[in-house]
Amino acid sequence: MARRPAPWEQGGDEYDYLFKIVLIGDSGVGKSNLLSRFTRNSFSLDSKSTIGVEFATRTIQVEGKIVKAQIWDTAGQERYRAITSAYYRGAVGALLVYDVTKATTFENVKRWLKELRDHADSNIVVMLIGNKIDLKHLRSVSLEDATSFAEREGLSFVETSALDATNVDKAFQTVLTEIYRIISKKALAADEAGAGAGAVREGQSIQVSATDSSSFTSRCCSF
Amino acid sequence: MDKKKAVDDTEPGPAPSRPVDRFGFIKPEQGTSPDGISKSKSIHERERERDGRRIKKWRKMIGVGGSDWKHYVRRNPHVVKRRIRKGIPDCLRGLVWQLISGSRDLLLMNPGVYETLVIYETSASELEIIRDISRTFPSHIFFQQRHGPGQRSLYNVLKAYSVYDRDVGYVQGMGFLAGLLLLYMSEEDAFWLLVALLKGAVHAPMEGLYQAGLPLVQQYLYQFEKLVLEQMPQLGQHFIEEMINPSMYASQWFITVFSYSFPFHLTVRVWDVFLYEGIKVVFQVGLALLRFCHDELVKLPFEKLLHAFRNFPEEATDPDVLLPIAFTFKVSSRLEELEKEYQKKLEGSNASTSTKRSHPLKLKTMSRIGSRALSNFTNSEK
Repeated sequence: MARRPAPWEQGGDEYDYLFKIVLIGDSGVGKSNLLSRFTRNSFSLDSKSTIGVEFATRTIQVEGKIVKAQIWDTAGQERYRAITSAYYRGAVGALLVYDVTKATTFENVKRWLKELRDHADSNIVVMLIGNKIDLKHLRSVSLEDATSFAEREGLSFVETSALDATNVDKAFQTVLTEIYRIISKKALAADEAGAGAGAVREGQSIQVSATDSSSFTSRCCSF
Repeated sequence: MDKKKAVDDTEPGPAPSRPVDRFGFIKPEQGTSPDGISKSKSIHERERERDGRRIKKWRKMIGVGGSDWKHYVRRNPHVVKRRIRKGIPDCLRGLVWQLISGSRDLLLMNPGVYETLVIYETSASELEIIRDISRTFPSHIFFQQRHGPGQRSLYNVLKAYSVYDRDVGYVQGMGFLAGLLLLYMSEEDAFWLLVALLKGAVHAPMEGLYQAGLPLVQQYLYQFEKLVLEQMPQLGQHFIEEMINPSMYASQWFITVFSYSFPFHLTVRVWDVFLYEGIKVVFQVGLALLRFCHDELVKLPFEKLLHAFRNFPEEATDPDVLLPIAFTFKVSSRLEELEKEYQKKLEGSNASTSTKRSHPLKLKTMSRIGSRALSNFTNSEK
């Protein structure tokens, strides 16, 4: 069946799934460096604060499938949520970052979760990330506290260092795998139900449930 | 490799004599700088030569310490406009910026106010400001040294403003405005220029860029999207098809008035015009960037578009190429119409009204800006 390739299928790169991910968390916790470490394997100590939103992608293998992550990096300051919260819509995953050396950024994680509840899809996969573990002598949020918090909230959790690359790939890999499993399970269920229209074919945009049609971000998978 | 270099960069203490460009940005070891500073020599040489001839004319025009300026502007507004569009000589920029923005008048009307704000007041934003200080123009020699004079001035100006206008406080992005100004003038001068811009001494106030909800950012993005569609229908349509929204690329253009990620020699030229003619030049320059790259952009898919918006080719950011294109866009009256249209739309959706006051303050009322600062200061003992 001939059809015009969708915008996200152009450009030469091929993938089975496309997942939209948002990076959120307080200002200065290292979101932009986590993104540059994951997508370009680079890190900069003297980077500028993010104004508005930035964007990058990387394609990885997840359980034998090629998964492309489209990642939106957002300004962390509260005032910017007026702009950035629009980017939660259509996102299937969120990396919620705090700084292990700054307790307030961990305390604010609750507010970020509320922000996601208010603006993102209820099925969004959220991963909690404690960044900057290279600054061992400055740590002020313990691994235990964060682990039990993540368990209570039902979040995946990992500690990272964007500076020395510890666990950065793992964090993204984990969240993408989790999303992939949910999506493929739902696709399977749809297949078994024999609902042809609901079946997901690889490489297509996946609309597992109706999403806000006004969203300008619906180009990739949505729950 | 990357990491090692970055770590070296954080060594505190005075920066060694690393090569800097003529604006004071540290030159990258090779290749082009992320700030796009180390551009081809010809641009700089060309500008320097031209500056030599212009400085004479400019000195005559402004008189000693700016004494003839108002008189000259009143008599020859078009000459002034034309000369500003060609670029203010760098050595006179600081003074001329203060004259054309109305900040010099604010300063004279409010002696001692800045000092009071800096010394005696505390701000709820202090920690937020500190966190961003080293993340503002990190590659400029003046702001590199931790706790050095550049960083301290930047902190003072931002803190003073956050006290002066507690509604705005401190918002990321303001640091780039303040930082840019500090490269051309003293702390106190920079502070009053910030006040002149945000409170609207000459042009429409810009505080809405930073107030809760960022109402003016939203309005500008709305206007910009419409302008793109009208001025470059094919590209505008392409953006819609690719689901490109101007908040994805243009918010930082407005929030920092092109001071965030463009080559500095372009930034200052945009600011010359911006301070004299107002925010419309940001629309014009934005449109010019898209026009210059139009034939490329219409071919690009979503992701490549986003990449292109952050990596405009060097030729596109040459002010002598870009600004003439920018000025071909006549946008003033259309911007006004679109503003009304947007406000109507907002009222329809029953949204906030914080962008209401969009007309510049008259000079008469400017002294009130200062007294408001003082009453702010006396009312709040935190």
